[in-house]
This record gives sequence, C-alpha cells and structure tokens, in this order.
Amino acid sequence: MLEVSPDDLEWDAGRWAVRGDPDQGKSIGEIAFAAFAAHNLPDGVEPSLDSDATYDPDNFSFPHGTHLCAAEVDTETGQVRIRSYVAVDDIGNVVNPLIVEGQVHGGLAQGIAQALYEEAAYDSSGNLVTASLADYLIPSAADLPSFTTARTTTPSTLNPLGVKGVGEAGTIASTPAVVNAIVDALRPFGVADVPMPCTPERVWRAMQEARGASPAAPAAVTPASASGPGPNPDAQAGSREDGSAR
Amino acid sequence: MIPAKFDYTRPSSLDEAAAALAGGGEDAKVIAGGQSLLPLLRLRFSYPSVLVDVGGLDELRGVRDLGDSLEIGALTTHYELTKDPLITAHCGLLAEAAGTIADPAVRHRGTIGGALAHADPAGDLPAVIAALDATLVVTGSGGSRSVSPADFFVDYLTTSLAPGEILTAIRVPKLDGWGYRYEKFHVTAQAWAIVGVAAVAQRSNGHVTAARVGLTNMGSVPVRARAAEEAAAGAEASASALAAAAARADEGTSPPSDLRAAADYRRHLARVLTGRALAAAAGV
Repeated sequence: MLEVSPDDLEWDAGRWAVRGDPDQGKSIGEIAFAAFAAHNLPDGVEPSLDSDATYDPDNFSFPHGTHLCAAEVDTETGQVRIRSYVAVDDIGNVVNPLIVEGQVHGGLAQGIAQALYEEAAYDSSGNLVTASLADYLIPSAADLPSFTTARTTTPSTLNPLGVKGVGEAGTIASTPAVVNAIVDALRPFGVADVPMPCTPERVWRAMQEARGASPAAPAAVTPASASGPGPNPDAQAGSREDGSAR
Repeated sequence: MIPAKFDYTRPSSLDEAAAALAGGGEDAKVIAGGQSLLPLLRLRFSYPSVLVDVGGLDELRGVRDLGDSLEIGALTTHYELTKDPLITAHCGLLAEAAGTIADPAVRHRGTIGGALAHADPAGDLPAVIAALDATLVVTGSGGSRSVSPADFFVDYLTTSLAPGEILTAIRVPKLDGWGYRYEKFHVTAQAWAIVGVAAVAQRSNGHVTAARVGLTNMGSVPVRARAAEEAAAGAEASASALAAAAARADEGTSPPSDLRAAADYRRHLARVLTGRALAAAAGV
C-alpha cells in the first residue's frame, strides 16, 4: 500500500508510517479494510481477514420462570380458547429488551401451537398428509391472546454479563401450561389426559370416553341422530368451563 | 411451484368471454380473483389450456336493488359483501359469512362468483346462498338461465355450468325482518370450516314461523338441513326447543371423514352449531 520495504516502516499510534516521513502512512483500519475488501492485492496474497475467539463458560446458564394459562373449553364442541396467558421469565441481565420480548412472544406462539394445532400426521401408507400450511395449522395473531409478560432479574453468576438464554423459554413452558389448563378444565368431566395437539375433535372424544360413550364407533351415532335430543344431553345442558394451570 | 403452461385472454365483453370459453371447451377456465384457482394451478391439480379473465367485464360488478331481491354481480368481492349497504341492510347473513372467509387479503381479491363456481363444499358461501334460496344467473352464447343452488352444485368442485357458460350474478331475496347467523367452526382463523351452519329465521309472538338452514362441509355439495328446518318452524323461540329441532340437522347428510374431523364428529357439530345458529337467528 505504501510501496516501501517493510524494514522502512515504523509503528506509531495505530498507524504504520514510512520511517522519517510520518505523513506517509496508513491506519490499522485502512490496512484491515484493504485486506478484507481484497480489491487490489499483490500477486500471491490471499484475501482474508479473520479473527476467532472462544469463550468456555464454567457451566451453562439456567433461566427459570413460571407460566400461567387460563383456557376455556367449549364442552359441546371441544373447542379450546386461551383466555389469558401470563409468562414470567428470569433470564438474568437483559441487553436488548425488545428482542427479549420478541423471543418470548414467538416462543409462546410456537409452544401454544404445539399444544393446540401443529401435527405431522401420516396416512396408513406412511405419507405425510400435513405437508402444506393449509393442512399443518399454525396460529396467526387472530388465534392467540394478548400475552402478559414480566421478568425477574437474577443475574447469572456463570458469565461476566450475567445473562441467560431466552430463546426457548416460551416454547418449553407454554405447551404443558396449555395442556394442563385444558385437562384441569375437564377434570369435573373425568378427563385425565388429552393427546396433543388438543384439537376440538380430540377434546370432544376425550370427554366422550370419560363418559363411557363409545366415540370410536361412529355407527352408533349416525342412526340415533334421527330422534331424541342428541347423544350428549349432558353436553347440551353444560356450560363452558374455565380452568387454569401453572 | 409453477403452473403448467396456459393461454390467457382478457375479453372486454360478456359475448367475447362466452366465445373464448366455448372455444376452449372443457379445458377453458374462468379466472376472477384467483384465490381458489391459482393455488390449484400452482399445485398442478388443475391445468387448463386457456384462462379467460373476466376482470374487465364491468357489467359483472356491483349490487342492484330489484325490489324484492338484490342482484349481486359475480365479481363482487368478499370484502364488498361485508360492506355493501344494500347487502348489509337486506341480506346480513351474506355479509356476516363473507367476513369469515380466510383473511383480509383473500377477501379483497376473492369474488362471490368465483367462490360459488369453485363449488368447494368447505367454502362458506355455497351453504349461505342455499339457505337464502338464492338464484344463480348463468350466461352463455345461447343467452341467460336461472339456476337454483340445488341444481347448480353437482358434486365436489363440480357445478352444472356447461362449457361456454359464465356465472354472472346471484339474485338473493331480501329477508327484511328475518334474523340470521353463520356459525363457522374452524380450528384457526384462516382455516376452512370443519362444519359451517348458515341459518335464517323469522319470529313472531315468541315462536319461529320459518327457518332455513344451509350446511357447509357436510357432504360433497352444500346441503339444506330440511328436517331441522321443519322441526324449527312453529317451535317456541327458546334454546331448548331449537336445540331439539337442531338434533335433526344432520339427517340426510353424508359428511366426509378427513384429516380435520371424522364424519360422526361432523354430525355432532352440525347438530350443536345448528342449535346455536337457529337460537341466534331467532333472537334467543
């Protein structure tokens, strides 16, 4: 860059300059950019400017938190609606609060979706039948409640910044919170479990099974529908139930 | 994915459009908003040789007051159905149901004519126009004819439109004084209805005097719940009486079993949702 022998260069205050001619020089930033941009390198010089450093923490950080979900189950149809969702996470010191909120909200959406919507379903021949987003359901903003989030701050002692991971806090906590809320809501009906994702049909069948009906036998329902008040007088009399879980 | 190759024409008159369709025969398709057709083309479930774009036919736009009924141009978008003053005043069921279709982007592009000609039994509007006893106006090179919903919808994605015919308008009787409700049951906001129930009811002196119920996704075509309608007519306008009538909502239906729901669950939903829709329509 200066077209002089290396022996004629001297280092001073962040620059290499020609010995005896301090105006003739380049800063370390200019030299680094020339190496990185590689627009005009001498023959035989490979373009490269890299630096690696590794930080080996003594241990992983341990975020913790509590999530509460209040879910409503329509006992006639099996439809689940989340009425309220509160997530309190402790991820140590926060560097960028907006990014942390985004991670928590996105994680909640993903975890709720696993509880209620997302499923890789296969037919009897092993073909994936939820291969597009028309069949593999994911929630939009219209399907989710307005989240209430809060933080406690317990700085990690395991790294100099006192930070902990936040990426999976929402996904890990929300799926069991939602399913536990549903099962809690259905406890008065004798339901102890609902397989995920808790689709309306699965919730309805879990209630049917708990009642001792025979949900696996559609034929029992078909002709009976022609008369009487329907096969589930309890469901028609019942109202929607609230439940919560932590 | 990329659609198979097709020719495209955008006629400037209905006669030209009918001629272009007739010339293309069975392989010609009308495109309006494209919200159902374009996904089919991209997945190559459909590969017409020619697309006839009716978007330039201004005579297919707008809503006209015919006195006892409204004539809705086939190019009226779902969004327009939700906002049009004539439709909201005289045909609230159609406005309410149109507001549940997919998402705002789709509602601004998709048209009532396209949705009906697509004849998807999981679509919302076919059951609605069945419940409304609407008339479909079909135009071809030989002139126009009027078709009832029962004669228009033949099978899954199949109508009685002949090659060269275009659905140009839908005539909907005004139901002033009737209550209405579209109960759409779906898992996420943008998902298709597992079951939908379109109900209109007339009430007098604490009783339902007349009721009509159209069912979405309870067969290969939209169906009327005739037994429930008959049971509701004359019934007391109470939740229990209408639930009893609704217990017959699935009579005569043949709902599919698919990824989203088994047939017996669909029958159950049809009964529950018909009870709710009738109650809401009757002001219970």
